[in-house]
Amino acid sequence: MKEGVLLAAQGIGWEADGHPILADLDLEVLTGECLAVVGPNGAGKTTLLRLLVGLLEPSSGSLSWENSAYTDLTRRELAQRIAYVPQSHPLRIPLTVEQMVLLGRYPYLSALRVAPREGDYRAVARALELAGIEELRRRPLAELSGGERQSVYIASALAQEAELMVLDEPTTHLDPLHQREIASLLGRLNQQAGLSVVVATHDLNFASLLADRILALRNGTAVACETPAEMLSASRLEEVFGAPFSVVRGGERPLTLLEWGS
Amino acid sequence: MAGLWLATLLIAPLLGSRILTLGDLLSGDATVGTIFWSLRVPRVLLAMLAGGALAMSGLALQTLFRNPLAEPYTLGIAGGAALGAVLALQIDGLGQALGFPAVAVASFLGAVVVSAVILGLAMSGYTRETSTLLLAGIAISLSCSALVLFVQYLADFTKTFRMVRWMMGGLSVVGYGEVLWLLPWTVLGLVTLLLLRWDLNLLLTGEELAVSRGVDLKRLRLGVLGVASAMVGALVAVTGPIGFVGLIVPHILRRWVGPDHLFLIPACLLGGGAFLAICDLGARTVLAPAELPVGVLTALLGGPFFLWLLIAGRR
Repeated sequence: MKEGVLLAAQGIGWEADGHPILADLDLEVLTGECLAVVGPNGAGKTTLLRLLVGLLEPSSGSLSWENSAYTDLTRRELAQRIAYVPQSHPLRIPLTVEQMVLLGRYPYLSALRVAPREGDYRAVARALELAGIEELRRRPLAELSGGERQSVYIASALAQEAELMVLDEPTTHLDPLHQREIASLLGRLNQQAGLSVVVATHDLNFASLLADRILALRNGTAVACETPAEMLSASRLEEVFGAPFSVVRGGERPLTLLEWGS
Repeated sequence: MAGLWLATLLIAPLLGSRILTLGDLLSGDATVGTIFWSLRVPRVLLAMLAGGALAMSGLALQTLFRNPLAEPYTLGIAGGAALGAVLALQIDGLGQALGFPAVAVASFLGAVVVSAVILGLAMSGYTRETSTLLLAGIAISLSCSALVLFVQYLADFTKTFRMVRWMMGGLSVVGYGEVLWLLPWTVLGLVTLLLLRWDLNLLLTGEELAVSRGVDLKRLRLGVLGVASAMVGALVAVTGPIGFVGLIVPHILRRWVGPDHLFLIPACLLGGGAFLAICDLGARTVLAPAELPVGVLTALLGGPFFLWLLIAGRR
């Protein structure tokens, strides 16, 4: 296990109008790790991510970043540490790729300066390069394909220069080729650039290939948080999803298949 | 944009039912001087401030609500102002207050009341979604229109005519009182919106992403709604509700200037101002010596032009 705890959640829970959505969850995100969050619809994955990035305040429990409680950090300070790529974006964002990525610098920008600083433009150039989309920089976002757009959203989050990136289902709605591109981009960022990643996904094979650990949620509670080899067994998956799975390839990073028929 | 604005500012006061030349101005003729300095110049300045304030408010509200149909009057501020104005017209003999006609004071108060309700809603926890605020504004607007109709129904023919005429909007002023009244509000709006430009830009990418990067949504709503209501309330009180500028000018300028609010906000101030001043020039010359209500002309000129832009943009 890699050392150093970046983010710690202790007994966090969240309620909407008295209904518990997430209850009593403990979680540590370690420096440099990739943590996948899986679970059925309504299990509380998105709620957990929104709590981790500070969009929601926990109804119970506490969150801390390194040694500071979230409540001691301003929203901008938190955004300099954690970048978020939400599940959905507005249909038509009237910006070019470069403008969109520059907005990742928001946590560092000052309203009193007319133009962003030199360092902001350097961060944008680096983010475009890391995401491999430099050639798209002048294109309007609205003209891009779904897969290209997802890369731009990730590049925009990269420009935040945060240590942790939290992504909510980044491969949903993408074709297999673009799914693979996003997966290899995240793998590269995690392993080569040393970015810590938390990613919610419905794609178990994506989670298996990418993650160091997988957290499984069901009905707002954690079923288990373990390595892909441990998590992706027929019995564990049946427990989490209530559906039969078969493991088609074992090993460190198993591949699984949902069984059809009753 | 700045060139167009400057040209309008320099040329528009010379034109009108009687065209003045520089020679006329320098001749020392007292009548010419009065027409130029007390009627034409303040009128053009007022048009430029009002048009700029309307366009800036419309731009900020369209971005805040992420709705292309939002405009300065969507929030019901003009509705409140109209209600105040018709009440003042219905109750005769109110005279003046603080040097302004009672109608202006009453309509400003109407705008203030509606703004207070909207700001209260924005602050309270009941409107977690920004779109709820938009709907609340529309509901207030419709209620005010109904009350205006009710007052009109009770009023006699002469008063009804004055009410309808007020609601068409107009820029006839004598002297600089109205210009000096509107100037600080417009400057306040310009400065506040420029300080919020990054927040507004980031809001184009969605509320969730914006908040995750540190945008304080409550502060942003308060800032935008606050200065938009202040500007619109202040200008409606002196000009009546002039339609179309706040809705259309931001759309036109977005096509020319791009989406960055750093450039869009000043462009709206200049472009909205020039547009309204030119429309007003048309309004007072087309049927000279009679005058068209300027609101009629803004819609007549702006509507087809915007349609043309929409169609041309599709190619």
